[in-house]
Amino acid sequence: MRAVIGLQQPLAGSVEAERPRSDIGILFQDDALLPWKTARDNVALGLTFRGLPRRQALAEADLWLERLGLAGLGGCFPRHLSGGQRKRVALAQVLALTPKLLLMDEPFASLDAIVRARIIHDVAQLVERDRITVLLVTHDLEEAISLSDKVYLLSQGPRARILQEYQVPIPRPRDPVRARTHPAFALLYHRLWSDLSQEVDRGPWAEAAA
Amino acid sequence: MRPLDPRLAALRQAAVWATLLAAWEMAGRAHLLNPLYMPSPSQVVAALGQLFGSGRIWPHLEATFVAALGGLAIGILVGILLGVAAALVPFVAELLEPVMTLLNAIPRVVLAPLFVIWMGVGLASKVALSFMLVAVLIFFTVFGGIRQVDRRLVERILTLGGTRWSLVRHVYLPSVAAWMLGSLKVAVGFAFTGAVVGEFVAASRGLGYLMSFAQSTFNCALMFAVIFLILAVVLAIFAAAGSLEKRLLRWS
Repeated sequence: MRAVIGLQQPLAGSVEAERPRSDIGILFQDDALLPWKTARDNVALGLTFRGLPRRQALAEADLWLERLGLAGLGGCFPRHLSGGQRKRVALAQVLALTPKLLLMDEPFASLDAIVRARIIHDVAQLVERDRITVLLVTHDLEEAISLSDKVYLLSQGPRARILQEYQVPIPRPRDPVRARTHPAFALLYHRLWSDLSQEVDRGPWAEAAA
Repeated sequence: MRPLDPRLAALRQAAVWATLLAAWEMAGRAHLLNPLYMPSPSQVVAALGQLFGSGRIWPHLEATFVAALGGLAIGILVGILLGVAAALVPFVAELLEPVMTLLNAIPRVVLAPLFVIWMGVGLASKVALSFMLVAVLIFFTVFGGIRQVDRRLVERILTLGGTRWSLVRHVYLPSVAAWMLGSLKVAVGFAFTGAVVGEFVAASRGLGYLMSFAQSTFNCALMFAVIFLILAVVLAIFAAAGSLEKRLLRWS
């Protein structure tokens, strides 16, 4: 992910993108908002980098905060927001730049179950509405299946590579919570789980992973 | 034991202090204390009253304030500039860090006599001493701070499409300001130490000069008066620095 967004040079190989770098957004595991800027200013930041006048950027930021269920919290500093709210601000910050490709590196790992389910629901809706391609890295099989159209299973690192590719036959538009009750979900979950277990058992760190 | 009512803390403290002062005063009046060494509170107050009443104190206060605030301002400015330069340019760090470490290790007030020889007994030598004390402190605050800046914030700005200048403006400057404000109180204390010690060594005006004058004339009441005055001045500036910190760091 760091190579795709250009934060790091790949050790080997290359990254090829059809679209310019500015069409790619990334959501890290930690929210890393600027602590000295309000939620609104944090969201407006990327927009002002794009050359939008400040007043317009702030108006746009308010709109995105509202879309992510944070109406009225624009004036709060990150310290005064909950973990889930901060995550939503970070999402608004990225989505406000209308990316065509969104990279998400275990973005919801630090959140508790209910907050997490609700954010995932909202993200899925926005992503589907704006037709954004998402590359999501996760350890959570349920999250992988309920959100994705394709799941790639990676081998153990370092130098992880793609072991398997799976199609997710659950139709869209899709509610990620309801998707878990779709008959295809259990089947795919079972397959992924056994392939993953096999890979973990095979690896040199089987002991540690178990 | 019944817990103390926190609302009355100030009252209890004031009562204790008042009792101590009263005991001190009574001991003085009962001739239990030699006024040559230990003047009573009323004598100190009288000395203060005399200083302000005659207007004699103003040029001294002015001299110390100008020297301390001048040293503080120049020290902060130069400290920030050198700190930023050292943090961003490795060669500058290589050159400056050992010098600053050395300056930090020695009690910098020992430079006072040297500055008096170089710059005379006037204002310049006091400003220079204040400056030396403040600049080294601020240098280390800024230099250390920039190197510890949160990498995640830097990456955030870069992935949002920010440039090097956006990094300076949105990450480095606010970080530096936060660390700077954090050591502002210490810097204020240092600045006044520099000014007063400088005046103590050689001067014709200033609170330090007044102290040295009180010492040479064995005037303990005047000495206490000046000590309390310095205390009051520094506390007032501390309070100002504190409220500035609170206002600017309301995000933290």
